[in-house]
Amino acid sequence: MAIAEFSWAESKDQAKLPGINGNKLKLNDEILISNICWFIIFRWVVIAALIFLQILALLASDTLTQLGIVEQKNWPIAITIVLSLANAAYIYALDYCQPSKYNSPSINLWAQIIIDLICLSVVVHYIGSTSTPASFFYILHIALACIFFSTLESLCVTILVSAMYTIVLLIENSMFIPVPNPILIDDNLSAENLRRNSVLLWMFALDILFFVVWYVVSRLSLVVRTHERHLLDAYKQINQAQVEKDQYAVLMTHQLKSPLDAIRSKINLIKAGYCGEASPGVNDALNKIDNRAQSMSSLILDLLRLERLKDTCLNTAVLESVDIETTLQKSIEKLIPVANSKQVALYVSIDNFICKVIPDQLEILLENIIANAITYSHDNASVEITSEVNRLNQSASITITDHGIGIENKDLPNIFNEYFYSPRASLHNKASSGIGLSIVRIAAENNKLQIKVASEPDAGTSFTVIFNNIQLPTDKQELTDQLPLTESSLP
Amino acid sequence: MAPRIAHVDDDLDIREAVECILSKDGYEVDSYLTMQDFINSLQDATKRPDLAILDVMVESMDAGLTAYAQIHKRFPEIQTIFLTSLGDMIRPYFENGSHEWVCIIEKPVEPKNLLAIIHDRLENTRAAIQTA
Repeated sequence: MAIAEFSWAESKDQAKLPGINGNKLKLNDEILISNICWFIIFRWVVIAALIFLQILALLASDTLTQLGIVEQKNWPIAITIVLSLANAAYIYALDYCQPSKYNSPSINLWAQIIIDLICLSVVVHYIGSTSTPASFFYILHIALACIFFSTLESLCVTILVSAMYTIVLLIENSMFIPVPNPILIDDNLSAENLRRNSVLLWMFALDILFFVVWYVVSRLSLVVRTHERHLLDAYKQINQAQVEKDQYAVLMTHQLKSPLDAIRSKINLIKAGYCGEASPGVNDALNKIDNRAQSMSSLILDLLRLERLKDTCLNTAVLESVDIETTLQKSIEKLIPVANSKQVALYVSIDNFICKVIPDQLEILLENIIANAITYSHDNASVEITSEVNRLNQSASITITDHGIGIENKDLPNIFNEYFYSPRASLHNKASSGIGLSIVRIAAENNKLQIKVASEPDAGTSFTVIFNNIQLPTDKQELTDQLPLTESSLP
Repeated sequence: MAPRIAHVDDDLDIREAVECILSKDGYEVDSYLTMQDFINSLQDATKRPDLAILDVMVESMDAGLTAYAQIHKRFPEIQTIFLTSLGDMIRPYFENGSHEWVCIIEKPVEPKNLLAIIHDRLENTRAAIQTA
């Protein structure tokens, strides 16, 4: 005896999204590497600016002195050299060295931050730590660390920044050396005290600012990262739902179509004489049953096709270079039995070209338009398939023309609407599902194709599919012969 | 000796129709309800078919495809044809590059078409064996 236990209790963690937890929201190596590359490029720009300034200082030193800009000493050259060498080292470590415990993107980024902070401290020292806004450039480093690192790491960067700025101020004001004789107070010493107070004020104010900036930016960064994670999860869930929806659609299609297939298989057996001779009346009735069952089968498959085409918008469909001649031949080959049953001749005259599309969808699009042209033609008529290639603006068009019942002017704007029903068309084709042109529309949308329709009631219709950004085949092989593809022309 | 054909489908009416058509044309037909029944039958070398006609959705969504993968690996000499309600709609479930060699027939069973495809497939195998 077999026993199975079933439980459908919903997992509580299923819909739970990650909360705000700075350390768990680290960026992966791929993003870190792209950031490193961005920093390296940014640093090359800074290096170029420094070189430009030095050239300017050499060429126009007198003018600069007149403008009040005093010529700097050797530090800009030293900074330029250090930054250039460091940048080259980062590139070397990233591109030419094997990643290891000591050569990870994270270590690379940390090295960049430390060297940049040392260089910035030198610049702040020479330009003026309290007299110019140079020290505010430290904030840029804190903000970047908050964006690209975890909260803890960005806090370390902030402490480092704060320590460096403090060291710069202490060195500049010789605060490491104790005042030798505090009893003798003179004017000079009092001025010195004032200056020290001002420096201390700068130190505390900026250090507090650094930590405030760290707190605000790291909070913002966490919120953004959490939302980013939520979006990623939502995207994954949508994709999963799409897969499940497709499976469900396939299952439903199968369940709906299977009984019809069984019925039609039996009809085919009777028609082929496997069940004995049937009277003409029975055969006639069977043909009618089969036709209706066939329309229903086509409708069921078309619904699945339509669902799949709609899903393509959400998924990242792969565009491929497609040879239009081959695709067209494939579509036509499938429709030859339909054309033969109505004695409709297909005349194909096309210049080959290559377009970037989703191959299956282009096939479905052409197949549907050509099938419509055949269906709405009168018996013994013809359908022409022609192309026009514009080499100048790299566009091309395929025109499918029939001489059938045509479309009335009032119906023309609605033909691509889902489930549009035209009694006139239905009278001509009882098997019309009304979704053939919806399929064409979605396939055209997904492949960014334009469609132009011209029609005259009782004279015929022509559908023109316009392709942009085409390529021409290299072998210049073109199919220009007029080939009537009817039963008589087939081997 | 008449070529042996195995047919797997969970629909009795389809099994009957295929059996009726193929038997009348002189083929020896073994019908199976599930893929597992068919795979088990392959243990017996005398029952191994020249060609297998597989439905895709038997028991599960892709039982036919899984069975095909197994059969193709263990007995590459057995020709395989898919006979399914979904026709070409199952193509996305195949790996890339298999469009040329995977033969998919859409149901309903059409005697003339089915016989032509089977005849063609068996002829190709025979020709391949002779040239080898």
